[in-house]
Amino acid sequence: MTYPALEGIGLTRRFGGFIALDSVSIALRPGEIRGLIGPNGAGKSTLMDVLSGRTGKSASGRVLLFGHDISGLPARQRRRAGLARSFQKTNIFPDLTVAAQIGLAARAAETNNAEEVIDAMELSALAGQRAADISYGDQRRVDVALALVGRPRVLLLDEPAAGLSMAESLNLALLLRDLAARWQVTVLIVEHDMEVIFSICSHLTVLHLGRILANGPPEEVRAMPEVITAYLGSSAA
Amino acid sequence: MIRIAVFLFAGVAGALLPALLGSPLLLTLLTQAVINAILATGVGFLVRQNGLVSFGHAGFFGLGAYIVAVSTTNEWMPIGAALLVAILAPTLLALLLGAAMLRLAGVAFSMLTLAVAQAFYELAMRWRSLANGDDGIAAQLPGRILGLDSSLFQQAGSMFVICWIVLMLVLFGLSVLIAIPFGTLTLAIRENEERARFIGYHTILPRAAIYALSAAIAALAGVLFALYNGFVTPNVLYWGLSGEALVMAVVGGTRAVWGPALGALLFFLLKNAAGDLTEHWPAIIGGTLILVTVLLPRGASGTIALLMQRMGVRTA
Repeated sequence: MTYPALEGIGLTRRFGGFIALDSVSIALRPGEIRGLIGPNGAGKSTLMDVLSGRTGKSASGRVLLFGHDISGLPARQRRRAGLARSFQKTNIFPDLTVAAQIGLAARAAETNNAEEVIDAMELSALAGQRAADISYGDQRRVDVALALVGRPRVLLLDEPAAGLSMAESLNLALLLRDLAARWQVTVLIVEHDMEVIFSICSHLTVLHLGRILANGPPEEVRAMPEVITAYLGSSAA
Repeated sequence: MIRIAVFLFAGVAGALLPALLGSPLLLTLLTQAVINAILATGVGFLVRQNGLVSFGHAGFFGLGAYIVAVSTTNEWMPIGAALLVAILAPTLLALLLGAAMLRLAGVAFSMLTLAVAQAFYELAMRWRSLANGDDGIAAQLPGRILGLDSSLFQQAGSMFVICWIVLMLVLFGLSVLIAIPFGTLTLAIRENEERARFIGYHTILPRAAIYALSAAIAALAGVLFALYNGFVTPNVLYWGLSGEALVMAVVGGTRAVWGPALGALLFFLLKNAAGDLTEHWPAIIGGTLILVTVLLPRGASGTIALLMQRMGVRTA
């Protein structure tokens, strides 16, 4: 039996009386790149947080990684089990050099592929520089590189192209698509840039008001009237 | 190799100082300054690696000093064992406290360190049968300590050399520690604890280890203080000493491991010079602290490091 690479079952997250995530279930096939889209406040980042263990015990539901229940594991143990993530706001170590922080991630992952990741993310020329001293676009790539170290089995990317130019976004998207295919990484990506989403995703999930509104191939989702109404707007029709 | 050479040179240069100075008064002052430099190094290292401010390192300093005094006076154990316990007990205590307190953010942590140290101060004040209250307690030192004549620990000239060598060893050890992966990890946790967790690290234990190490350094300074003075009062546990150590660390700067030690030396020289001028010398110290904070936010060591960087010289 083939288990989903990552499965969330009945995931719910409340903030006081507000339900940010309302019994959401999602399953990713091994090797797929799934896009997670929805308007602001739909619950996309909350879903990423619940799946990655950022919310601790304040969320309910189950998270399974290749059939193993990781719901009770803290973030660091989920990472060691093979579930990595990047963040919506750049989340790196500003005072460390690019090489030092990727090396640190490699030690945690008990792997020696730090240089491979540095090369793959086109960071070799910046390896000796402090992360605080490099450009924003490069910092975004460092953020993703930290998640890619150790070739995780599942990668959650929360708006990796946020703040990048159109050319930088597409370049990063294609880079990620190639790496995911080469390293057999299953990817769940949140992104507002539809060009990025449509260029790399084989499947889309649409969230709206904390619930799943639609699922399917990008072309089908794009044509669904309820999705157009809720998120994409008339320009996408 | 360069690091070893630098510390060897500094160690030898400092050891020659008593012969050059000759003044017993100045040597006494410098010996006290070096003991405080070791304490400030512990406080500054906590700021550097954990990003945390301790208002309670006098607790570990005083605990080390009191363990030496009480255990020698009551002949509980041989002096070698007493010195070991005087360093290990505060270290272990800090490890346990750290594991609990480090879950709290900045100010709450600082206040807890203050509370713990003040609890020890009150204990020393009130437990007269053991610590003799505010009258203090004399350490009954044996004739020989670790194979050396005990008088060597109580004469300014020889004790300065001993303390200076200890300070150099501490600084050398810390400069090695920040260069190994554990040093990088603790720096990374200080920078971004959440991301450290998300790349797979436990973050409380390494931070507690740094806290324990800084406590061990403070306790080591307390042991040297007890050996040098042969007498311990509750003042060594008082928060005022923690505050002074913090001022030394700020004046010297915490980005370099040797910054707080430099700050301690500057603090003592300034305190001595200001004391000659006026009885209100703390006002001069306070004014200096304000000036340093505003004009040299990286402290003396940070400014020196910046100048050296501009000249193309790397510093630890």
